[in-house]
Amino acid sequence: MSVAIVGSGLAGFTAYATLRHGGLEPGEIVVFGMADDPAAAWRLRAAAIRQREMRSESDGHCLPTSFPGLAVRAAVRRRSARPLVESVLDRYHPSVDEFLSHVDELRERSGWDASLRRARIERVHAVRGGFELDGHGTFRHVLLAPGHPGLNVPEELRDDPRVVHSYAPHEYASTVTVVGAGLAAATEWLNALDAGAEVVSVRRREPVRRPLNVPRQYFSRRGLAGYHALGPEQRSALLRSLLEPSYPPGRRFDEPLARGACEGRFRVEPSVNGTEQVICATGFRRGVEHDPLLRALVEEHGLETAGHRLVLASDSTVPGLTDATRTLAVAGAPAQWAFPGADTLVGAKYAARGFLRRVQACPTP
Amino acid sequence: MSYTLRGRVDSRLAALLPVLLAAVILAAGLHRWWPIVLTALMAGVGLALDVEVYDRLLDYQPGWLAVPLGLLELALLMGIVRLAGIDAPFWPAVALFGGAWLFAQVLGHAGYPLLRLSYGDEGGELGRAGVAAAAVAGAVLVSSGGFAYAQRPPVVHLKAGVHRGPLVIARREILQGEPGAIVRGGIVVRHDDVTIRDVAVIGGENGIEIDDVHNVKLERVSVSGAKLDGIHVRRAAVQISDCSIDSLGNPYGQGIDISYTFDKEDSTVMGCTVVGGLEGIVVHFSNAMLMHNTVSRTTLHGIAMTEMSMGMVERNQVRDARGVGIFCNDHSMCMVERNVVVDTKRDDAGGDLWRAGFGVLASYSSEAELKDNALSANPRPAAAVLDSKLKLHR
Repeated sequence: MSVAIVGSGLAGFTAYATLRHGGLEPGEIVVFGMADDPAAAWRLRAAAIRQREMRSESDGHCLPTSFPGLAVRAAVRRRSARPLVESVLDRYHPSVDEFLSHVDELRERSGWDASLRRARIERVHAVRGGFELDGHGTFRHVLLAPGHPGLNVPEELRDDPRVVHSYAPHEYASTVTVVGAGLAAATEWLNALDAGAEVVSVRRREPVRRPLNVPRQYFSRRGLAGYHALGPEQRSALLRSLLEPSYPPGRRFDEPLARGACEGRFRVEPSVNGTEQVICATGFRRGVEHDPLLRALVEEHGLETAGHRLVLASDSTVPGLTDATRTLAVAGAPAQWAFPGADTLVGAKYAARGFLRRVQACPTP
Repeated sequence: MSYTLRGRVDSRLAALLPVLLAAVILAAGLHRWWPIVLTALMAGVGLALDVEVYDRLLDYQPGWLAVPLGLLELALLMGIVRLAGIDAPFWPAVALFGGAWLFAQVLGHAGYPLLRLSYGDEGGELGRAGVAAAAVAGAVLVSSGGFAYAQRPPVVHLKAGVHRGPLVIARREILQGEPGAIVRGGIVVRHDDVTIRDVAVIGGENGIEIDDVHNVKLERVSVSGAKLDGIHVRRAAVQISDCSIDSLGNPYGQGIDISYTFDKEDSTVMGCTVVGGLEGIVVHFSNAMLMHNTVSRTTLHGIAMTEMSMGMVERNQVRDARGVGIFCNDHSMCMVERNVVVDTKRDDAGGDLWRAGFGVLASYSSEAELKDNALSANPRPAAAVLDSKLKLHR
């Protein structure tokens, strides 16, 4: 066995599909994880914020090739050119149900279950010619896709009994404070207004309005070439600015919020007040110190970090532990040093393709 | 898609390869160079825009933008074709561009992403395949250009002075007259792909005779003293420009006579001055464009389209014609626009009612569409007779 994926979420699943596309058989890949369903964690979070539509566009899928994307599949299924036209206009967003169906179908087709081994990997130890994974064997090429290291709740609110995280299941009280300014926060403003609540938005800064998580040029070499050329401090600073909370522009958000404001049911305040419920739409913890696997990896092997992030090569591999004989790569949110949008599906594919290139360039003897 | 500059160039050139192949086949089939020249221009215009405009202005290019950018490239391309005088027919040229554009879109959205997983991540770059595509495209264009250069007809310089005719041209060539070059006794063209430039012809049965050959151009020629026609064309498409024909006193000949070429490409007569003759410019059973010519002192018709001919008679000046200024006759269809017809004279000699000094006359089941013509000092400005129609457009 030469290839292992640590993590059975969407980033790991995307890498698996890419490796399969690259010619590896299910028996040549081991996926370590605790959930059979690669969308299990994502499904719960989407349900918690009542998300019905993806922020991503046609390319927001787990397939190895960007074509045919979800718009083409929707056009074929619905026998309508509308999804294609919307895609050309950057207006196509698959529904959450469509996305999840696609994951189920790809899971069935790819042989995912045959490669999945139910185990939590807590240590990755570099050995000669590969990596030893917690007593589960040595693998020449390993992709770490550990996912987010937990939900982030601001320090000052952790002991407040009114607090619920947006990604935890919840209903809405009659007065609700939503902390945050990203897509989850914006979705929660609408949810709470829909539920008849009076909504207070508490935010540190005005939200950025943009279609995708990061500006589009950072999804390709056009933006990435300059990004990769930056020194650690500059890159950390740029990454902070790129990852500021944002949600898409458009009437879908603007009209209900304007209506809520007119009715006196939506307002912005500088700090949490006396509402009945506080919803923290504050995303996830960030930094290797919050992830036991990555923290141990950094400490054990003396890996470089910058701004709490693991320093990676431009192809998402770990520089100190990747050479001509072995590969250690990272996918998902912890790979943002290599790809600012690493926590998106396109980002997962970026890491997966880099990993596949390494695997193909350095096959098992 | 956020293209890098190299990504734009790679994607464009790789998509152009099959188009270039099609252009080479088309050129070989048509025996014309315009498909290859057009494809080379498409590449040039596209690459120039990639470097100078698109890469600078477009960090991200949404799918819909391909349509206006395609139209921009098409407009620039056709503008260059027109300015450079490239003999590419309009609609086939547009079709070639449209096919290439569509093919590039299909490749960009589907083909490249399927063939190369990281196509989008790499901003459209194709790696070694991109370099190879550029090399092949360059090699095909350079070799085509070299071949075209080698295939150019030889240039024969006609020195100043009088040369005894008739001069018979029986091979592909460009006959380039030096200032003062005169051929006495006429020129006969008996081969395809002949250009005659800056030559004066005096005398001859016909001044210049062109019969059953292809791709003949007459540029800045002058003819005088021919026994019959100044320029006599049968079963051949010709392009005549900036000529001067003197048929004054000739009781039998026409200035320019183009006949029986309906199954050939369109003939054009542009910028010529014709004086005298029975008919100044006449086409029989032909498709022709007669534009920007000056015709005067003819004894039968100034300009005539007859015997099921079709074409444009546009921006000509016809002065002092006897009988009829512009004549559309015998099942012909004539677009008569922006001409000046003045001082047409009545011709009562034969008692023919249809020679009563018409500015424009449509006759014998013909159809003439008139627009913006200046018809003055003619006894009868315009008329349609014998089951013919005049359509007047404002």
